[in-house]
Amino acid sequence: MMRGREPGSLARFRHLVPMVLVAVAFVGIWELIVRLQIWPRYLFPSPVDVASSLYDLWTQAVLLRAIGATLARLGVGFLISLVLGAILAFLMVHFQTFGKGIQPYVLGLQTFPSIAWVPLALIWFGFSEAALLFVTIIGSLFAVTVSFADALRTVPPVYLKAARNMGSDGMDLILRVTVPAALPHLISAAKIGWSFAWRSLIGAEVIFATVGLGFLVNQGRDALLLPQVMGMMVVILLVGVLVDRGIFSRTQEWASRRRGLLPSG
Amino acid sequence: MKGAALKLVMVGKRFNGKAGPTEALRDINLQISEGEFVTIVGPSGCGKSTLLNIVAGLETPTTGWVEMDGRRIHGPGADRIVVFQDGAVFPWLDVQGNIQFGLRVAGVPRSQREARVDEYIRMVQLEKFAHARIHELSGGMRQRVALARALVLRPSVLLMDEPFAALDVQIREEMQSVVQDLWLRSKTTTLFVTHDVREAAVLGGRIVVLSHRPGTVSAVLTNNAPRPRTLETPEVVEQIRRSNEILKAEVQWSNQPKIQL
Repeated sequence: MMRGREPGSLARFRHLVPMVLVAVAFVGIWELIVRLQIWPRYLFPSPVDVASSLYDLWTQAVLLRAIGATLARLGVGFLISLVLGAILAFLMVHFQTFGKGIQPYVLGLQTFPSIAWVPLALIWFGFSEAALLFVTIIGSLFAVTVSFADALRTVPPVYLKAARNMGSDGMDLILRVTVPAALPHLISAAKIGWSFAWRSLIGAEVIFATVGLGFLVNQGRDALLLPQVMGMMVVILLVGVLVDRGIFSRTQEWASRRRGLLPSG
Repeated sequence: MKGAALKLVMVGKRFNGKAGPTEALRDINLQISEGEFVTIVGPSGCGKSTLLNIVAGLETPTTGWVEMDGRRIHGPGADRIVVFQDGAVFPWLDVQGNIQFGLRVAGVPRSQREARVDEYIRMVQLEKFAHARIHELSGGMRQRVALARALVLRPSVLLMDEPFAALDVQIREEMQSVVQDLWLRSKTTTLFVTHDVREAAVLGGRIVVLSHRPGTVSAVLTNNAPRPRTLETPEVVEQIRRSNEILKAEVQWSNQPKIQL
C-alpha cells in the first residue's frame, strides 16, 4: 500500500480525487441543463434546490428521524434474516437430501422481486412495522441462505476430519471449526444479504411506510416536491454506500487479512 | 505417555463409487506392538491412506476390525491422532492456538494447557513463531505445527498420512529426523504411511509393503538398522534395495493382463 509521509497528511485522500471530480462534473452538468431551461424548474430542480430541501429536512429533524427509523428496521430485519438463513443453510449443507430438495426453491425465491411480496405482507400484517420487517426478511432470506450454504461448502473436509480426530464434534465442531474456517466467505455472504435487505426495505417503505427514508421519497412525490424526491434518493445512496463500505467491506478485509488472503498492509 | 498395541484383523474396505464398487483393501492382518514404529509403503491407489483412516476411526471397514490394546475401536478418538499430508493446520488460529486445539476440546484447564503447549512448541523448535499465523509459515514449519498439535495430546498411537510428501527433499529429510528424534524420546506407537521407499526405510522398525488395488500385505520387512539413522546408514540402503525389489515385482505383476475367470 502507498502511504503518505505522515499518517495525517492529505495524501491519504488522494485516491478519492477521481471520485470527487466525477461528482463535481455531474453537479456541474446538472446545473448547466437546469440553466438551459428546457424543462420547468418544478420538474427538473437545480442542485441548489435539492441541497436546500435536504437542509430543511435536516433542520426540522425529519431527516435524522427517518434515517434512524430505516436503519432500525434494517438492523432488526437483517438480523432475523441472518439467523434464519444460517439455520437453513446449515441444515441444507448438513442434511444433503434436504439440501438437494430445497435448493431449487431457495434459488428460485432468491430471484423473486421483493416488491412482489408487498401485497401479501399488507394483507397479513396491515400497514404496520411488521409488514415492513416481513418484506425486509423475506426479501433477503433466500439470498442469505444460498450464500451462507455456499460459504459453508468451502470448508475443506480435511479441517473437519482433523478436528473430529482431536475429539471435536457437534456444536463444538461447528463453532470452533466450521464457522471460523468459512468466516471470510460468511462475511461476503452477509454483505450480499444486506444489500438484498436494504433494497427490499426501501422499496417497501416507498410503497407504504409512514416514517423512514423511502417514505420521504414518496412524500416528495405526493407533494410534487422534486427537490425532496431527488434529495432523498441521494441520502439513500449515501447511507447504502456508507454501510457497505464502512461495515461490510471493512470486516471483509479484516477477515481476509487475518487469514493471509490479502497482503498485510 | 505410553504407546498402545494395535491389531488389525481381516480389515477390508469397499467403496461404492460412480464407476461401480471398488475394493480398496482386502484382508489386512497386522499386529503392532506398543512403542513400535511401522511404516506402510505402497504404490499410489493401494489404499494405504484408507487403512490409516480406518485405524483412526474416521472410516469404518467393510470387513474385519481394529483392536487397540485388545479392545475394538469405534469411531475417532484423541488416543489415535492423525497427521495429514497437508497438515490440516487451521489457518484461522496462530501456532499456539493450533497446538492447544485438542487440549481445549478435552477441557484441559488453561494453566496446564499453556505449560504443555510451550513444551511442545519447544520440542518442534517453533519458539519464535508461537504467535505466527499459519500463512506466515513455510510448508515444513506447518508440518511441525501439525506434529506438535498431535503429540501434545499424548496419543497412544500416532498416525501419519504421507505427512512430508508435499515438502522439498531437504526439508523432508530434516522432518524425518525430527520425527525420528521425537519417537526415540516418546516411544509412541507410530503408523507412518508413505509412497517413498527411502522414507519408509529410514523411519520404520518394520516396513509393511502393500500391493496395488485391492491393497493386501505383500511383505513385512524387519528393519534393525541402528538409530538414529540417515539415508546413508548401510542397513537402510540395503533395506531400500529390498523394498524396491518387492514393489517393482508388485507393480509388474499388477500391470500384467489378468486372466478372466
